[in-house]
Amino acid sequence: MHIPGMSRRELLAAMIAAPVVAAGKLPTDAVAVAKCPSYDEDQVALLGQMFGQLGGLGRLVKNKTVTVKVNLTGSPALKFQGKPLGVTHYTHPKQIGALAHLMDKAGAKRVRFVESAWATAGPLEEYMLDSGWNVRQLKSAATSVEFVNTNGAGDSKKYVKFAVPGGGWVFPSYHLNKVYDETDVFVSLAKLKDHATCGVTLAMKNIFGITPAAIYGDDAGEHEPNEAPTKGRVNTCHFGKRQPASIAAPEKDPASSREPGHRMPRITAELAAARPIHISIVDGIETVTGGEGPWIRGLKYVQPGVMIVGTNPVTTDTVSTAIMGYNPRDLKGQGVFARCDNTLLLAEQLGVGSADLKQIEVRGVKIADAMFRFAG
Amino acid sequence: MLFAFAVLATAADWVPARWNSADPKLLELVAQTPVNCLLVERQNWSAGFSQEAARARVATLGVVRPGDDLKELPERAKAAGLAGIVFEGAFEEAALGLARAALKDSRLAAVELGPRTRIRWDGDDPVIGTHQGVWPGINATDDDGKAKAAPSGAPWIDTNTGFLRFARSLAKGEVWIGNVPPKGSVIPVARYLQAIGDAAIVGARWVVALDADFEKRLLEREEAAIKDWKRIGDHLRFFEEHKEWRTFEPFAQLAIVQDVDSGGLISGGILDMITVKHTPVRPVPGRKLDDGKMAGSKMAVNVDPAALPDSQKEVLRRFTRGGGTLLTAPPGWRFPPQRANQITLDKEDIEKLDTIWKEVNSMTGRRNLGARLFNVASMLSNLSGPAAGKPLVLQLVNYSDYPVENITAHVIGNFTKAQLLEPGAPPRKVNVYENEEGTGIEIDKVSSLAAVVLE
Repeated sequence: MHIPGMSRRELLAAMIAAPVVAAGKLPTDAVAVAKCPSYDEDQVALLGQMFGQLGGLGRLVKNKTVTVKVNLTGSPALKFQGKPLGVTHYTHPKQIGALAHLMDKAGAKRVRFVESAWATAGPLEEYMLDSGWNVRQLKSAATSVEFVNTNGAGDSKKYVKFAVPGGGWVFPSYHLNKVYDETDVFVSLAKLKDHATCGVTLAMKNIFGITPAAIYGDDAGEHEPNEAPTKGRVNTCHFGKRQPASIAAPEKDPASSREPGHRMPRITAELAAARPIHISIVDGIETVTGGEGPWIRGLKYVQPGVMIVGTNPVTTDTVSTAIMGYNPRDLKGQGVFARCDNTLLLAEQLGVGSADLKQIEVRGVKIADAMFRFAG
Repeated sequence: MLFAFAVLATAADWVPARWNSADPKLLELVAQTPVNCLLVERQNWSAGFSQEAARARVATLGVVRPGDDLKELPERAKAAGLAGIVFEGAFEEAALGLARAALKDSRLAAVELGPRTRIRWDGDDPVIGTHQGVWPGINATDDDGKAKAAPSGAPWIDTNTGFLRFARSLAKGEVWIGNVPPKGSVIPVARYLQAIGDAAIVGARWVVALDADFEKRLLEREEAAIKDWKRIGDHLRFFEEHKEWRTFEPFAQLAIVQDVDSGGLISGGILDMITVKHTPVRPVPGRKLDDGKMAGSKMAVNVDPAALPDSQKEVLRRFTRGGGTLLTAPPGWRFPPQRANQITLDKEDIEKLDTIWKEVNSMTGRRNLGARLFNVASMLSNLSGPAAGKPLVLQLVNYSDYPVENITAHVIGNFTKAQLLEPGAPPRKVNVYENEEGTGIEIDKVSSLAAVVLE
């Protein structure tokens, strides 16, 4: 067996570390696809209909604490062509309001919107205000809505260890803010985007943002977390130039590849396995192609007009990747994964779900009818 | 002569612009704006033009520069019907003194637009100023001049506001900044509006100066240029219609004690670093430091402790005894000495300043020291008010090429209504609500400049 771009040693290590689950036993949850030309459309009706196609939201969230990881990547100060962040590379606030309302209506006990905000451990509400969101309106969308910045320990002052099933490739476990442990239903509310390092960023890549910069940040303490982080996580995670604060597990093999295209897909897959995602929502109504944010050159604003929702992150991301016009099973060196490993296949190896389109039922709009080729 | 005297009496109200034409017919363009003072180059000094300008209540000031012949300057100025002379650049002191004395005897106005380091803070000039300024706008390049490419924080805004805040706190009269567009550049009109706002939100006036291309098109009465000129006029008018704002004091609980030798004349220094964070700040020139200047402040930064005499050190001791938090530069730290033509900091200087900046940042943190603003990364602001306290005015300049939507401000104090004022637009009501910091306001959109009046 040969995977382009992967050394024999790395391949062996991967196979040993991660149990390869027989394809037939992988979760193959159905994925709902819908067309939606703009955020001016009724987002409550749209998401409500899509959850209905998946068996209803009530069965998933009734009397549960729901934690929704939104995508607020990069500083809110960086806007692409002056457009609101929600129509380019951030989660759109209307979807947050709609989701909070639907969760509330479906009987959720508590809804928490979370993000490890860029370079700050300050209140997420303030970060959202800096993003141009009306937080007061969002708070009133449901009876119990909270916003938590998980870049540090926050009010709980505690982190919880999440072990990677099978032991992981890069890190054997992750220390995360306690809210991720106080979660009955974990939702990834992601954006449909290309990604400079991982090829695509969808429901799974979105949750890289659950790692606290207090521990995994470039200015994290050597031993103790830095509860006032001011930097990102590039040196620790992308490049492996330093280890996380030692309250968390260090890398398994500091001699392994330091290439971001090797590390980040693995870290993403590990996180998806360690902190399972129950609902994956990928927003491709309006977004950008060519990268994940305005710091990437060649970015382009587009309106694919599509929404993808599923109850398994791998199946949802697989369908999303196909809708972007990419082959979800491409290996490193191929297609959108030209310079990185394929996170979908890595997550598949960890048993999170199937990345095989043939195994995944698509409900609503067909992939071919929803397709928007990101590569142009 | 009579006319010149009349203009001198209103020098504080001059709205200046550089004007490169002696064609009286083109004064019609000036009349479309609040500009009432033209800075005219020597080749355009003309009695006919000045007379027509005077009829339109526009003063003409002749510009002279180092190297120009200053002999018989009053006579030549009078012959050209000028209301006064602008000395632009670094003149030899003795020659300048003689020329100024001669002008005074002839009751002609003198405005100096010299280097920042030579501004006459203790003089009686109704207008002080400088020709030195950065061209305001978002600086989207890194230290190597390449476009920034990282998911990191807010872009840096090149601005003169820090220097102008300091200048306004020290000057007796009006403050002009006479910076011109970068040579050879063609500037979109939005950048001119930013330059106007950059000076005006802190109570100063930018001497309007057009790039060569715009100027040519305007003087040829090209339609698009006239449209842009009208926008410039609208924006100048906006501030002239609210002259009272110039008299307002900063509404800020953070005081920066510094003087000309400790960074007050620098752009991109401590004051700018603080205002880029939208932390309201009150500059207190060291030489003016007294208990009254510190009233209302809860935090203070003393940039150059060694420069203060004992009596003023005692003022700061009283401030801290009264519960104020004082941050002083580390022992032995001095503000980097300013070179003759230096108006911004070198990389090395910034690194030195970083020592104190980190402390300031840590001290202010997320505290509300007057107002906290959100979604304003591409903007600068100034919060000020009259001695009586109300109304407060929050002025905003947008330095990006796009309108900014959904701005939130949390202002200390209780306010029940607010209006958004913008150039060339009717006032709009702003949503106001109580919050734990005092009053929250929500501004839906700001294009170039705006002011929120809180009552």
